[in-house]
Amino acid sequence: MKRAVYSLFTVSLMLAAGLAFAGSAAEDVTVSDAYARAVPPGQPNSASFMLLANGSATAHAVVAAESPVAKVVELHTHTMSEGMMKMRQVEKIDIPANGMTQLEPGGLHVMLIGLTQDLKPNDEVSLTLMFEDGSKLALVVPVRNLQMKMMQQGMGGMEHGKMNH
Amino acid sequence: MQKTGLSVLTLLLAGLLVWVTFYWHPERRQAHQELNIQSAPQGGDFALMSHRGPVSLRQLRGKVVALYFGYTQCPDICPTSLGFLSLAINQLSPEELSGFQGLFISVDPKRDSLQRLQQYGEYFNAAILGVTGTVEQVDEAVRKYGAAYRITDTGSQMGYIVDHSADTYLVDRQGKLRAVLAHGTAPSEVLAELRKLLRE
Repeated sequence: MKRAVYSLFTVSLMLAAGLAFAGSAAEDVTVSDAYARAVPPGQPNSASFMLLANGSATAHAVVAAESPVAKVVELHTHTMSEGMMKMRQVEKIDIPANGMTQLEPGGLHVMLIGLTQDLKPNDEVSLTLMFEDGSKLALVVPVRNLQMKMMQQGMGGMEHGKMNH
Repeated sequence: MQKTGLSVLTLLLAGLLVWVTFYWHPERRQAHQELNIQSAPQGGDFALMSHRGPVSLRQLRGKVVALYFGYTQCPDICPTSLGFLSLAINQLSPEELSGFQGLFISVDPKRDSLQRLQQYGEYFNAAILGVTGTVEQVDEAVRKYGAAYRITDTGSQMGYIVDHSADTYLVDRQGKLRAVLAHGTAPSEVLAELRKLLRE
């Protein structure tokens, strides 16, 4: 009996240690290629896109976000059905263990609602991601328009282009 | 025991009340809130309004016209479509450009004023004119081109969302619908399609 208690104690200790060593979601997840979309003056809404990579063996999820440039920030996705693009709010954005989740045009995005300022190319905006464990990741993301993104990614749209005239 | 039963009953009734109040919407569908894809797109004339005054497809005979149905509060899909179209337009020579007109048709006339549409179209390209009309006028154009939209209240803080088809329609110099380009068609492909019609 005593031994069982000791074993239990040891296991608990190990578990606790494991939890302590496993980082918070904000430590496990790295964000790359984040940007917010430039929008026409007076436009009330925009979106932010990025690549979320989870370097840990624990699945994580973004459950909310906030930014000083928007009154409300929501997580949204798009689906195509009945011939229509349907944008819907999602509760969370999952990032699988040792996996990646891409937020991109036409798909998952962080939706900036009620912009408090115009988003012009090369501006920078603060954006904080909140994870399932309550940890937070503060980002500063550049504002990009489509042309800038296409040139950056070399999406090939303009291979015969006269982009540099 | 009796008290527990009463509590459960109270809870059930409260739950029912909440459901009836917030989730039960008999006959919720209102007129002109949606227009589904009806049939293969036929194309044809329509008359709408811009900040410059009335715009009809008939007036634009002799020009190649690109049509896109959307709404200005659209944060992603419309900007991508108009951005790609704009990248294609930027490659046109001045002569080609003089034979082209882009129309962004708002299916959200309630929120999109003509001024707002002017600003929105021009932001992407001077050759894109923002237009809209009465719900009937908009619906006529939507129907003719096989487009679709639906005003949807999703509970998002942005207010209602407009689900909409995201194709770009190309009309030739004779006013005939010639090509339907799916959302995400690369600018180079849009450009090739435009040039094909511009050469005619």
